[in-house]
Amino acid sequence: MNYEVVFLKGALAFYTLATAAAFVYLYNKDDKWSSWMFRLVGAGLALHLASFGFGMHYFWKIPDNRYYFPINSFFGALSFLSLATVAVFFLIESRHQLGILGAFVLPWAVIGTGSAIIFANPAVEGLVPALQNYWINIHPVILMTSYAAFGNAFGVGVALLIQERQIKSRKPGELCYRLPSIEELDNLNYRIIVWAFPVLTVGIIMGGIWAYSAWGRFWGWDPKETWALITALVYAGYLHMRFVKGLRGKKAVYVSMLGFACVLFTFLGVNFLSPLHGYLSGGG
Amino acid sequence: MEQSLALLGLNHKSAPLDVRERLALLSASELAKRIKAGGTKEAAVLSTCNRFEVYFMPAGESTDTVENRITAWLEQISGVPLSRYAYRFGGEDAVKHLFEVSSGLDSLVVGESEILGQVKDAYEAAHSAGMTGKYFNVLFQRALYVGKKVRSETGVAIGQTSVASVSVQLAHTIFGGLQGATALIVGAGAMAETTARHLISQKILRLTVVNRTWEKARALAAQFLAQAVPWEELPSALERADIVIASTSAERPILTSDMIRQAARARQGRSLFILDIALPRNVEETAHGIDHVYVYRLEDLESVVAENMKKRGVELDHARGIVAEKVREFGLWEKSLGTGREASFKHSNLQESSEIS
Repeated sequence: MNYEVVFLKGALAFYTLATAAAFVYLYNKDDKWSSWMFRLVGAGLALHLASFGFGMHYFWKIPDNRYYFPINSFFGALSFLSLATVAVFFLIESRHQLGILGAFVLPWAVIGTGSAIIFANPAVEGLVPALQNYWINIHPVILMTSYAAFGNAFGVGVALLIQERQIKSRKPGELCYRLPSIEELDNLNYRIIVWAFPVLTVGIIMGGIWAYSAWGRFWGWDPKETWALITALVYAGYLHMRFVKGLRGKKAVYVSMLGFACVLFTFLGVNFLSPLHGYLSGGG
Repeated sequence: MEQSLALLGLNHKSAPLDVRERLALLSASELAKRIKAGGTKEAAVLSTCNRFEVYFMPAGESTDTVENRITAWLEQISGVPLSRYAYRFGGEDAVKHLFEVSSGLDSLVVGESEILGQVKDAYEAAHSAGMTGKYFNVLFQRALYVGKKVRSETGVAIGQTSVASVSVQLAHTIFGGLQGATALIVGAGAMAETTARHLISQKILRLTVVNRTWEKARALAAQFLAQAVPWEELPSALERADIVIASTSAERPILTSDMIRQAARARQGRSLFILDIALPRNVEETAHGIDHVYVYRLEDLESVVAENMKKRGVELDHARGIVAEKVREFGLWEKSLGTGREASFKHSNLQESSEIS
């Protein structure tokens, strides 16, 4: 039996329940739903860590793979990305107690783990020689951590747009009083991105350094590289709007959401285009 | 003869305002003295602008006799034809009425919390006048307990029910805490002042007042320890304000879309919340379409209030269920007094033990 998959299925079940609790909490004023969501997420996270541990165990059975992170496959990458998303959410949640955000962030964890289970192949293969390098523990891990944070920022952005629409409608519903204020959501969106952006930048630079040591060039306009750069530029644009021009609110949030669209494209879409970064194409 | 609780009263549903006012003016200590002397063992008077209720336990004579005596005396000193407006309840019905009153179910604004304090005051006044005994002590403490329970366990007290408090709540959904917020009053008026008072209670950072008449601005500013600003500086005051209360008697909109657009631009995406509580309107309607600007007109605020009232109404059945349960519990306790083995309200869940039944 593949315990990595078994535990991941368990995590998916808990994430799904947590998401359901989060949605109930959107419409039910009872705080017990929020605390249930928090507990369910915690349980899911524990199972997910166990799954990742088993994944690592299986991966390291192949001597060449030892002690690299099992994130070279689409399965491993999706699993790690969802794990990081939930971990970042858990961190934000424990600091801000905005239980309501679960409804906007946790669906990503469900989609991530769910598609890993349904679409990706958990079979472990030996790392191709090009990836047998300590950089695999640095470059993709850092980047995916930033993606996870951007995923959280996106959820906050969605909540902000809903809240903005509610108030603009002049007929604010119950939801309006449940959501954090526009100002709080705007600040949280900004704070997550201001933290994730340097992580993204460092991740890209690390990739460049790896590329230099592997191929003797820092940058090669591989589609993944190009799109990662575009992503970074969009978020830089957002930070410029916020920080230099002092712009806030809806428009700034649209830019940050465009940034997340770039993240998704860089993570998923480019795999079909990139000869160097393909998870799906079997390249490496 | 077995004595039981009696209630003589009138409220906003049974009597017009001028009648209630005349009764509300009666001196509390005088009432206490006379009602005690009128043949009651225990008594309390709940007198607010919406209701006047005398709860009492007759001492020996029949309830009717005592009730008629008190009615006649009250009619005499207040000049109000009391018997025309009054309702009379006895026993369990009186207990139920008191519990409903303390729960806010009998209030003009369902679920309002002021009444709970008024019931408490009425009880404390009666207590310190030596008009309460064991029965009334338990009765009123239960009433206060039920009032709290109903409000926390049902939705009868959810949502704000005045234009001013709805405004403050909306400001919270935009800005979160209001400690850093600046409010601007344009014009004057009772509702603007009430709203300003609500905002001040949220510890806003700054309050600015603008009026076409400088003296009026000064006077209002002095009243609120606010800053008065000359009329000409309205555009720049608008840029600095987060919450604007527009309440002038101008015939045409004084806050034009152009003016607001300019302020919004200078505010760089920080929200601007404008309350237009003037009639005719003070704010050009197209201003609401500007990004980050939220204009709520009086009718918008009133419809939020109406919506909240409706939601409270839906919760009434749930609340009445709790009241009925607590009335039953109280009845069991009352019965147990005669048996010599007093039942207890411990854990607010009175057991129907064999000793009682």
